[in-house]
Amino acid sequence: MSEINKQNLERKLQSLIETVDVANSLTEPMTKSIENLLKISAKAMNSEEASVIIRDGDDGDLRFLSAIGKVADKLINLQIPAGKGIAGFVFSSGQPMAITDVGEEESFYAEVDKKTGYSTQTILATPLNYNGEIIGVLEYVNRLGEPPFEAFTPDEMDNATLYADAIASLVNAYEFAKIFRDLGSKLFDVSDPMEFSDVREWLNTQRDSTEHREMIELAVLLRDISSRGEAERKLCREVLEAILNYAKIKEEGSFLNFDLV
Amino acid sequence: MSEISGYEANQFATVSTYFQLDDNWKMRTGKGVSVAIIDSGIDVSHPDLNGKVIESVEARVDDRKVLFDPSESGDSTGHGTACAGIISRIAPDTEFYSIKVLGAGNVGNSQAFLYGLDYAIKHRYRLINLSLGTTKSNYFNELHDLLDRAYRAGCIVVAAANNLPQPSFPSVFSSSLISVSKSTETDPFNFGFRYGEIIELTAPGVNVRTAWLNRSYKSLTGNSFACPNIVGIIALLLEANPTLTPFQVKSALYALAKENQAEKENENKI
Repeated sequence: MSEINKQNLERKLQSLIETVDVANSLTEPMTKSIENLLKISAKAMNSEEASVIIRDGDDGDLRFLSAIGKVADKLINLQIPAGKGIAGFVFSSGQPMAITDVGEEESFYAEVDKKTGYSTQTILATPLNYNGEIIGVLEYVNRLGEPPFEAFTPDEMDNATLYADAIASLVNAYEFAKIFRDLGSKLFDVSDPMEFSDVREWLNTQRDSTEHREMIELAVLLRDISSRGEAERKLCREVLEAILNYAKIKEEGSFLNFDLV
Repeated sequence: MSEISGYEANQFATVSTYFQLDDNWKMRTGKGVSVAIIDSGIDVSHPDLNGKVIESVEARVDDRKVLFDPSESGDSTGHGTACAGIISRIAPDTEFYSIKVLGAGNVGNSQAFLYGLDYAIKHRYRLINLSLGTTKSNYFNELHDLLDRAYRAGCIVVAAANNLPQPSFPSVFSSSLISVSKSTETDPFNFGFRYGEIIELTAPGVNVRTAWLNRSYKSLTGNSFACPNIVGIIALLLEANPTLTPFQVKSALYALAKENQAEKENENKI
């Protein structure tokens, strides 16, 4: 590899890592906060298991983002196809629902239970609503103590809505950061996953850098513009793409200049 | 919202004040009454519903239009089956027409919901169970128009109220449909009527035992399950009085609920 290409790769790599780091610096505290809130709310709801399920793509598919309880590890990142099960219904209808098994019949949440080995007997599912848009589902499953478990009450259904509002704000912020990270990966066009531990260590020393702060400020600005509506998002995207094109042309020009010198 | 002042002047109104109602309506079975379930489909193999679902269709997008094809995909969530199961327990001879708008391919939910309602009105199903709604106000006009068309066509639309503290359409419309929220009551015949409230009817909607997927039964809580309780009651009224208009049905429900209330008050006194 020539010296120029090496430098080029190094520069791209550093840019990518900075982007990833910004995203993680946003997502990690949020996923932690979501988990903490889940724990607090589950206790208040007298529930054994709780989980946050979010959108996975644009086709209505869902995935577990966060979970607490015995099978939490098995649940995280588990996918639910569009429109399937209680979560699928709550997500597509925007309505909460409480369901309890009757007698000794087959568990209603068969697919997820099959994968986790858990037995769902009573469940309360409520939508995560952010600015009028359904962005996920909050679920409480079973009760503390031994079965048979009491059904979730209408009052608990109302209380769950309050927790859902708080969690929805965090999920929205998480999703935005994820989009930012994905966008960063695309922009820098690095397809090979690599181990970046050395660079990460270096990046940790950069956390309080002006550049880092500027990137976060840019992320916040983008979020603000995006929340103003479709026309604003479109305009913002066009402006950003124009800047990116300009940067690419400039980069190619400077590369040529460098090569010629 | 408080009660409309002066309404108490009608507190002695009975069903016969409004029109002559067959006294034996409670003994009916909903025979000959068509009920459209606009929902997630119906599991036709459930023992409670076997042979009762006359037709199942589901939404499909074709060149930006929403069309309805015969459906064999059943119920994707259990919700539609649950609603049909509740109606069937009250009115076992009801004829069901499943219009699947949730979990039907790649159709947008609100769009499919509107087209599903349009489909039901065009087919003039006598009763339409809407345990669904939308909170998006940009559908207000279209839904209002559809509900007016249903009213003029003689289709009785029964809608579940939003479970969350915000308005959902069409349940907040007052004139052209019947809206229902959940109560802890267990007997479907003991429904309530809150004259002057945005959502007027109350019906059992807490731990309602009903049909679910895989031939099972579940206990369900939500306004979604109060709505079919009222649909079941109306199916009985319609079998006994096939020519009732949406307005007359609402009047009958009001009068019957007042009778329920009076009976309860008498029981309490005793």
